[in-house]
Amino acid sequence: MAVTREIVRTHDVVKTYYMGTEEVHALQGVTTSISAGEYVSIMGPSGSGKSTFFNMVGGLDKPTSGEVYIDEVDVSQLDVYELAWLRCRKIGYIFQTFNLIPVMNAIENVSLPMVFAGKSSDECRDKAAELLKKVGLGDRLTHRPIEMSGGQQQRVAIARSLANDPAIILADEPTGNLDLKTGQEIIALLTQMKEEQGVTIITATHDHKMLAASDRVVWFTDGKVVRVQNREELNIQVGTIDGED
Amino acid sequence: MSQVQESIFGGDRSEKRLEKVPLRKAWDMCVQNLRNRRGRYMLVFISIAVVVSFFVITLTYQRMLTELRKNEDVHTRAVMQRAGLVLTDEDAAIKQRDRMIWLLILSGSLAFVGVTNTMYMSVTERYREIGTLKCLGALDGFVVQLFIIESVLIGLVGSTIGALLGFILTLLQVGMTLEFGLLGWRVVLVGFGAGVPAAILGGTVLTVLASIYPTVAAARMKPVDAMRVEV
Repeated sequence: MAVTREIVRTHDVVKTYYMGTEEVHALQGVTTSISAGEYVSIMGPSGSGKSTFFNMVGGLDKPTSGEVYIDEVDVSQLDVYELAWLRCRKIGYIFQTFNLIPVMNAIENVSLPMVFAGKSSDECRDKAAELLKKVGLGDRLTHRPIEMSGGQQQRVAIARSLANDPAIILADEPTGNLDLKTGQEIIALLTQMKEEQGVTIITATHDHKMLAASDRVVWFTDGKVVRVQNREELNIQVGTIDGED
Repeated sequence: MSQVQESIFGGDRSEKRLEKVPLRKAWDMCVQNLRNRRGRYMLVFISIAVVVSFFVITLTYQRMLTELRKNEDVHTRAVMQRAGLVLTDEDAAIKQRDRMIWLLILSGSLAFVGVTNTMYMSVTERYREIGTLKCLGALDGFVVQLFIIESVLIGLVGSTIGALLGFILTLLQVGMTLEFGLLGWRVVLVGFGAGVPAAILGGTVLTVLASIYPTVAAARMKPVDAMRVEV
């Protein structure tokens, strides 16, 4: 096994929102570390701060205090061009609501991050088609999101997140809008991508199905990490409905 | 299982910055977007065209009448007299001018409200899309560039359609209330010059201005906030 490297490290991250005059303490001192190639699930009830944490790690939001290091670089020290580069080349995002561009077909959606990375049109198209085939949508290349099911849209989103061969994939409730079976397929696909590409996967979820695939589970409550469990400690012998496992 | 990945920020830091996407690419994306959204933009074009044409009609019609009044020709005078469009004294002339100013203010503000509201809505309904683009690595400047090119195109097309439509309607109006025979090249040219270029320019500038504010606001937002906006 290769030497593990810390790809994400947070130190005492605090995030406070102001809603009107009221202070909301979304994160209250979160210190964690995630190694390269890990599949980490962040679990917790809604409002526990997991999405906020997630946005910090993805460079989508800045902490009120504390530091977020991506590969030992403090994200808050990056200028806009570096931050855009990080989002574009090194982090792939998957959202609960898919967030595909509605007027673009599958190929165009997957090409977008590559366009931002400055690749040529031909290169974008070829790579996008290849990725879509990999996620099982080889016959849906020119379909628009509206012509696809939720599961298929999420597959397009996964292909898009892989477009620039990122080091980290951040998936915020990727199965939240999907039915049980489709959700499992998406989890299987993510696991497969982790194995094949060696990409680090971080998901925020309250879907217990996702536990089985995780190397580690970080539990959040009220903006704090309350428990970290390794795979071995998880009792994941949960039966599935169709009984395939 | 996995090999050791090369460090994200390893090597030269100066290469780890995103370059600006070339203008050509932004143009391609705009054209693609306009083509793909033609159904939705049809409404935008129509709203802009309708208000611009109303503005052109008020501007051009009065200008053409003024031009016709200068004409000493007996037949022209007779036709204008029959239509009750000959100004008998100074009082009537002032009244006529006041009415025209009112009409212009009215149609001008209608065009302003119509165009700004249409553009504002068409940008705000895409906040989520802007947030997504930023997550995928779009720079703020690129988002603004994209929407400005798009609004220039929309403004130009919408206002041109509107201005030409308005001008044709004016010709019909003059022809029907007076006589088509009176529409000599001079009258037509004066009318065209008075309304059409100004309306195309004004409509386009208004369209761009109206979309700049929401675009810049959205581009400056943190991606998460932009995606959370409910319209």
